[in-house]
This record gives sequence, structure tokens and C-alpha cells, in this order.
Amino acid sequence: MKIKADELTKTFRVGPSEITAVDKVSFEISKPAFTAIIGRSGSGKSTLLNLVGLNDCPTSGKILCDDADVSLLSGSERRKIRLWRMGFVFQTFNLLPTLNALENVELPMALAGKHGKEQMEKATSLLENVGLGKRLFHRPKQLSMGEMQRVAIARAMANDPEVIVADEPTGELDSETAKEIIALLFDISRKGKTVIVATHDEKLVEVADVIYTIEDGKLRFGG
Amino acid sequence: MMGLVLSTSFVIAIGAATMRYTTVIKEISVLFNGQVMVVSKGTIVIQAVPIGGSMLPQAFTEEKIRGMAGVERTVPILFVTPIGIGGMIQPVPVNFSMGIPVEYWHLILGPTPLRGNGGYFPSNESSNEVAVGASLADEHGWTVGTRITVNDNEFKIVGVLDTRLALLNRCVIMPLMLAQEVYNYPGSVNIIAVKPVQGYSQKNLVEAIKQEISYVTALTEGERNDMIQPVLSQVETWNLGLHTAIFLMSLILVMTVTVMSVSERRRDFATLEAIGAPLGYVFRIVILESSLIGVLGGGLGLVFGSLGALVLASLYTNIPIAQFFPSIFEVVPPLYMVGIFLAVVSVCCLGGIIPAINATRMRIAEVLRAEY
Repeated sequence: MKIKADELTKTFRVGPSEITAVDKVSFEISKPAFTAIIGRSGSGKSTLLNLVGLNDCPTSGKILCDDADVSLLSGSERRKIRLWRMGFVFQTFNLLPTLNALENVELPMALAGKHGKEQMEKATSLLENVGLGKRLFHRPKQLSMGEMQRVAIARAMANDPEVIVADEPTGELDSETAKEIIALLFDISRKGKTVIVATHDEKLVEVADVIYTIEDGKLRFGG
Repeated sequence: MMGLVLSTSFVIAIGAATMRYTTVIKEISVLFNGQVMVVSKGTIVIQAVPIGGSMLPQAFTEEKIRGMAGVERTVPILFVTPIGIGGMIQPVPVNFSMGIPVEYWHLILGPTPLRGNGGYFPSNESSNEVAVGASLADEHGWTVGTRITVNDNEFKIVGVLDTRLALLNRCVIMPLMLAQEVYNYPGSVNIIAVKPVQGYSQKNLVEAIKQEISYVTALTEGERNDMIQPVLSQVETWNLGLHTAIFLMSLILVMTVTVMSVSERRRDFATLEAIGAPLGYVFRIVILESSLIGVLGGGLGLVFGSLGALVLASLYTNIPIAQFFPSIFEVVPPLYMVGIFLAVVSVCCLGGIIPAINATRMRIAEVLRAEY
């Protein structure tokens, strides 16, 4: 999926003052690659990622997916794009605590209306691919942080999306586990997926094909 | 959920007890179906005031009525409710005695069978035989042949009434003359049931009786219903008010609990929406959860409420609670149980609507950012 941001701006009102988290950002990701958006905490990278991931609406500017302006779409249409064409990996994993690993991965497929057997086979295969074949029925609290993030990555891949959006995927992990997660995301990008990662982890930056730096809401190409 | 269990229990227990109370009142009317009821002027039946005072024998009044046009039959009845502690009339009558001429029993009581192992209705000439309601018999462990004492007189039980009517279940029935002797109403009755001839208007008969006999009140079936209706309406209004108040409290309770539950799981709902869950899906989850609270709370409330109703019935009749267990559905009718259960689940569904709307209106990016 080709993603283009055109003069993207997001402002927040905090009391009497207005904060510009993303300031007239423009960029284009035209082919599958590992793209890293780096920046300090509070620089606006998570906000930018939420805009690109269609979890938020821009104050001004456009986001184009395959040349279609998705910033004008209704909530339900944006939800369909998130369900079918995007996968999300969060810093704090955001697994549903009442579901086990398998059910967490099955969830996006269930939402997409896939059959039970298909869901189970695909979820099992995805969890095996991330090395959790023996942890299928463990609940999140029974898993380590690295394992939870692997489940989250498997969940992001459940509906075979074209884009994986990852917000600080290694932020909560120790360096060894972070390396494993980076390797997983890198592998995914090499399988023809677009991976967009917001991070300040240098190891992630080292493997990225494209690097953008965001500072005070302004984006520039390069590290 | 405990709150919901408590409120449902309260509704069931109070509702069932009230229902039995109104049933007894209604049954008094049913027993004299199609007949004009004559009582002493200005009284109600449970006051047990003799017609014509203690000076005029019932035969005098009865003969006057029997001589009127349109009268097919008269049945004199002595209906006595026991007096409670301190000489007060009990607000809810617990048991009754009824004296009726034996040949008319079936006309007043209907075709009431006797329980199980035989027995018979006492004869008019009998001086020590009575029939008793099943509930009274069960309470005291009486069977046919048991000897009991009523007002210092000893009697032999010759029949146990097998009836569903609450009133008859709590009745000691004896021949009229015997009742007059036992309760010290010599020659007196407090009710005369008058059956009009086929096609003769009850209203005209009542007018004639009132004109002819100055010291009685005569009531048609409709008038009796009209008399009972305000009492029933009042009881039922209170009952409805109580139900409504408790259901409203339950609604607020469930809504508060669900709002708290949703706000504690904002990140989960935001995650669901971020990965593409339709709003309807999120809405359904919240409604389903609040309904589940209703199913569990309602179910447990049903159990505890039914037990509560049995305890109330036991306190109210002095019958040991264990004896109510086999007839629990008499005390709390199944339809009432189903109705309350469905009402509780519906209230919980309603209570889940606002939290469910809140869950679907979350700003995903804000919630996810705030939760880090």
C-alpha cells in the first residue's frame, strides 16, 4: 500500500494554549520497506503514527492510501482499513487480558468474519512463526514481556495486512528481547510488508531502510 | 452484583408475600360467586359482627330474606377470624373458622375434595367433628382422626380439604350450630349468602333487602368487588411503587458498575477499536456483560428471594419453613419468577446502554496515549 502524507498537521488544545504535535508533515512510502520515525519523547512521533494508522484525524492536511484521501473517510470506513490492511503493535502490547495468546491472535480474524477453523489454523501458524508454538493457551499475565510483544506482532499479522504500524515496539523490553523483536519486524518487512516504526531505539534505526526524524512536530528525512 | 442480588431478593420476597395477601382478599369474593352477600349494617365481614346484633336470631333475618321475591336460597354462615395479641384484629388474617349448614357446604366451598386417605365432611348433628384446610393440617401435623382443641372444645378431624385456595387452606370448617356454640354466637351469623333465582337481578334483590331490613348491608358481587378494589389497588400500587423504586436503584447500580468497568478497561476497548472492531461489536460486549450481571444477579436473587418469601410465609402463618419447600411454587408462582428475572435482565441491559455508548465513543489515540 502506498502511503502519502501531505501537509499533515495535528494540534491539541491544552487549557488556553494550543500545542502543535505534528506540524505540516509530508512524506511518502511508495514501496514495502522498513521505515523508522525517530525522535525524542514528546516530539510527536506517536501522534504521527496514530494519524498514519488512521486512529486519529488530522487537524489539517491529508493522508492518502493508494492515492485515495483517507482522512475524509467515515469512522467505519477507516475502521475497515485498519482491520483489513493494517496491523498494530503497541509499546505496552495491549493484549486483551481475558483472552489467551491464541484467542488474542484470532480476534482480528474473528472481527473480519473468518471461520473458526481458519482462525485457529492461521493463529497457530503465526504464533509458531514467532516462536510461541508452546504458549498458545497462556494468558498475557503468564507470558514474559518479550512473549507478549511476539503475540502482539502475530496479532498484527492476523489478517495479512499490507502495513504494520509499530509504536515503540521495543520500549518496554530489555536489549536482548528487543533484538529478537527487531529481527521479527525486519523479517516481516522482507516478506513484502510496509513496516512503519516510531522509536528512539538505535538498534531499530540500524536495520531501517528509510529513516525520518521528527522534532517538535516537524519531520525531516534522515537520521 | 451483590446489590442486584439483594434488590432482586427483596422484590421477590415482598412481591410474593403481597401477592398471597391480595389472593386471600380476592378469594373471599370468589367463594360467594354469583350470590348476594348480606352482612350487618356498616360492617365488613372480618369484623364478625352478628347480623341483627346478639338479640335477633339469624333465623329471623333469614326467613325475611327467603320470603322475598327473586330469592332461590339463603345460606347462613358464621365466619370468624381469630383475634391477635392484645385483642387487636390482625392486619393480615392468618387463619379462620367457618360454620356452615352441612347441606350447603358444596354450594359455598365448591366441589372441594378431601385429601388422600379418605375422611368425610361432618354431619349437621355432629357435636365434635370438623374439617380443616391442608395448610393448617400440615402446620400442626394433623391428619384424619387427630383430636384438636378449639376455644377449649375438643374436636376430631374427619377431613382435610385438598384445595389451592389460600383461604380454605387456613380454615377450620364445622357445622353452623357447632360453630355458634364454640365461638359463643348463639343463633347468630355474620353472613347470609343469598342466591337469586335464575335471571333475577342481584341489584334489584339488594335494593329489596335494604328496603325490607334496615339493619343489614346487602352487596351484589359487583359492589363487593368495588369494595375490595380500593384495598387491592392500594396494596398493588404500593407493590408496584416498591418494584419500580428497586428496579430504578438496580438500573443506577448496574449503570455505575458498568461505567466503572468500562473506564477501567478503556485501553482494551481502544485497542479493540484500533485493530478494527466495529462499534457494534464493542457495544455488544458491554451490553452482554451488563446482561450477564443481570442473569447472575437475577438468578441468585431469585433463589434468595424465594427463600425470603418462604421465611415471610413461615413467619406469617407460623408453619415451619420446611413444610413450604414442596409447595414453593405456590408461594412464589413460576410466572412471577420468570417475570422478575426477565425484568432484572432487561434493567441490566438498559443499564449497560450508556456505558456501551461511552465505550464506542472513545478517542482511540487519546486513550492509547494516556495509557502509556
